[in-house]
Amino acid sequence: MANLLWLQGGACSGNTMSFLNAEEPSACDLVTDFGINILWHPSLGVELGNNLQQLLKDCVSGKTKLDIFVFEGTVVNAPDGTGTWNRFAGRPMKEWVKELSAAADFVVAIGDCATWGGIPAMAPNPSDSQGLQFLKKNQGGALGKGFKAKSGLPVINIPGCPAHPDWVTQILVAVATGRAGDLSLDEYQRPKTFFQSFTQTGCTRNMHFAYKVSTTQFGQRNGCLFYDLGCRGPMTHSPCNRILWNRQSSKTRAGMPCLGCTEPEFPFHDLAPGTVFKTQTVMGVPKELPTGVEKNSYIKYTGAAKAAAPKWAEEDMFVV
Amino acid sequence: MAGTTQTLDISPVGRVEGDLDVRVDIEDGVVVNAWTQAELFRGFEVILRGKDPQAGLVVTPRACGICGASHLTCAAWALDTAWATEVPRNAILARNIGQLSESLQSLPRHHYALFMIDMVNKNYKDSKYFEEAVRRYSPFTGVNYEIGVTLSARPVEIYALFGGQWPHSSYMVPGGVMCAPTLTDVTRSWGILEHFRKNWIEPVWLGCSMERYEEIKTYEDFLNWLDEKPEHANSDLGMFWKMGIDTGLDKFGAGCGRYVTWGYLPHEDKYQKPTIAGRNAAMWMPSGTYDAATDTHRLMEQGFCREDMQHAWYEETGATHPFDRVTKPIAKNAPDFDGKYSWATAVSHQDLGRLEAGPLARQLVYGGSHTESWQHRDGLVLDMYKKMGGASVLLRHFARMHEFKAIYRHIEHCLREFKLNDPWYIKPKEKDGQGWGATEAIRGALCHWIDVKDGKIKNYQIIAPTTWNVGPRNSAGVRGPIEEALVGTPIKDISDPVEVGHVARSYDSCLVCTVHAHDAKTGEELARFRTA
Repeated sequence: MANLLWLQGGACSGNTMSFLNAEEPSACDLVTDFGINILWHPSLGVELGNNLQQLLKDCVSGKTKLDIFVFEGTVVNAPDGTGTWNRFAGRPMKEWVKELSAAADFVVAIGDCATWGGIPAMAPNPSDSQGLQFLKKNQGGALGKGFKAKSGLPVINIPGCPAHPDWVTQILVAVATGRAGDLSLDEYQRPKTFFQSFTQTGCTRNMHFAYKVSTTQFGQRNGCLFYDLGCRGPMTHSPCNRILWNRQSSKTRAGMPCLGCTEPEFPFHDLAPGTVFKTQTVMGVPKELPTGVEKNSYIKYTGAAKAAAPKWAEEDMFVV
Repeated sequence: MAGTTQTLDISPVGRVEGDLDVRVDIEDGVVVNAWTQAELFRGFEVILRGKDPQAGLVVTPRACGICGASHLTCAAWALDTAWATEVPRNAILARNIGQLSESLQSLPRHHYALFMIDMVNKNYKDSKYFEEAVRRYSPFTGVNYEIGVTLSARPVEIYALFGGQWPHSSYMVPGGVMCAPTLTDVTRSWGILEHFRKNWIEPVWLGCSMERYEEIKTYEDFLNWLDEKPEHANSDLGMFWKMGIDTGLDKFGAGCGRYVTWGYLPHEDKYQKPTIAGRNAAMWMPSGTYDAATDTHRLMEQGFCREDMQHAWYEETGATHPFDRVTKPIAKNAPDFDGKYSWATAVSHQDLGRLEAGPLARQLVYGGSHTESWQHRDGLVLDMYKKMGGASVLLRHFARMHEFKAIYRHIEHCLREFKLNDPWYIKPKEKDGQGWGATEAIRGALCHWIDVKDGKIKNYQIIAPTTWNVGPRNSAGVRGPIEEALVGTPIKDISDPVEVGHVARSYDSCLVCTVHAHDAKTGEELARFRTA
């Protein structure tokens, strides 16, 4: 039995909605099959008002053991560092977050807001939001650089806007079943098992990427979205095309460019005019290249790829 | 205790999606006054100001992870009207199917995860249905809770086939959609839809075929259907109705008696050149207001909206159209129940005053004869409303669940109407201008205003269903719809005021997107972005 508490700060509830789409295991399986006892959740909890405040106080005091503290949404600090723009259960949420994190064996940040600030922390960050242990790429965040939960692990970051439900449930099950020791985290504290590969890994447009065949505008079945439509699939770490969304598809498969939402810099370029759904180029070469590729080698290999492209690559492959 | 007033502060009222605080004054076990407070402030609009005109397509679905497709729908149509685009027929259908599948998902998810688990509260242990409710609806372990919550994931699989993922896709763009589905996407969608019908709608929710349920046209038809077979009475719909009556959910939560819907689902042949003025005449699901006191239906226009900040944490007073507001917030948001006590503003209709938004509002409008003959019409809920003496927690939630029928049939319509070899996107020319886009999120009327100037967003405004419903008093001291609905609510146990939760949840309040944009350092509101 592992006690789990889930709270939301500056959140849209998108990670909760995503979590409820989970299948292997489902949200209910976590409770019925894996012994996770959900103490409270903003969309699913039974208690309200004073009863909930007592439950939270018991977690902080240790009267109720808090095994896993899950946080969704940003930690709001406005105004003037007080956090009163996000009051919860009678006080600023940021105060609950600090006390509950200190009491928990494991702290799990779910979604971009809780990991690095996400959309609310986008310039000029009006709510003065932070992630639990990062703000964008800078380590620190609401809990501080040196924070470690009682288990000795720092905040486990499961980013994404939203996070995929299976990334969430599988990490929760791993922790609850005593396999936290197998978790290996990258420099942004993301579980490597999910975030070492790229969004492009498994994309159905990879052959078109290889032969530099571009999707030049929306509503086309053919081509790769990287060259013209601003897709960040080759530079983004996620398993979106290995573990499909809603069991069916992914944004890039459906024709939507990857926005890089599992990376701390999301949303990229702060959505400045001219940057949305458009590849940024200099003299026809993308400003941002697939991870690890140098500009000169990019020009050489795409030139060769284009020259070598077979006829079928330019024809519609995904026919009606 | 007779004659004494107890004041109860409930923080938070959970399971309303976001943070809602409620203060109620109770006299002799009944609520005599109420204040609703939106307590979260994130700040999205300042983020949008000065950004790429299409930034709203990325940002606004993320204002609300529950109604993301609805925000995306508004954001796309707002840009379409600003840029005067042409939207191909397929794209209108593909947008509609996204909106519809999100709404269909929300029905079982809201019913089981948010609404019914209150019925296993000890408050109802004396009900003859209590034991069965515990068996079916206990959180996570209830038999039907598990079916409902798990199967609620299926309709958004259809969304993923068109948009890549749910929540938070941005596949609707000015001029159309990003996708170009193939036959397998359409046939797979049919399969998912059928599975949802055969595994939840018919066996669990109705205990009969959809066709049998669709024969119900009046309150009497509905009661006859309940009695017709044990399968009907024992279905989750039957159980909800019987236990709701048994526990008195038909006796409180009336609200303000006036209702609003923007209408939604543009007709695929009538809105290919979208304009603000042409919108009402192009919606499958008609727009309108309904005033119960005079039994009058009228069309709704975006120009009728006014916002009042007298009791919201802003310095402004008076009633202003969203395009004209100059937002001046106050940084110190201590609740003052005679003064300012919420981040939500008081939204009203310039002539009709405070209005309730949501599925009940839609259903009451669908009962009107102010619409075109090809538009959706359904008089059942209006008939029930009149015969039951107005709104209640019971009828409001019934109205929400009743929508499965129209939603399901319209998804079928979209799947039949796609012409796979026709265009999905017509590249628009970007330009400056003002736009407005609207839809009906499952929880009610949602709209976006955009002003594009010099190739970037000058102003972005949103009014969401919960803004209508959860707003505080206005300058005249008139309570907001939920505040009004709370008055008269019986509270059995003040240490566990579940009845307040019933009222709030019957409105399906969503506070996650009640968002205002302040400068944290100076406290100045740079802009405003409220969706709830």
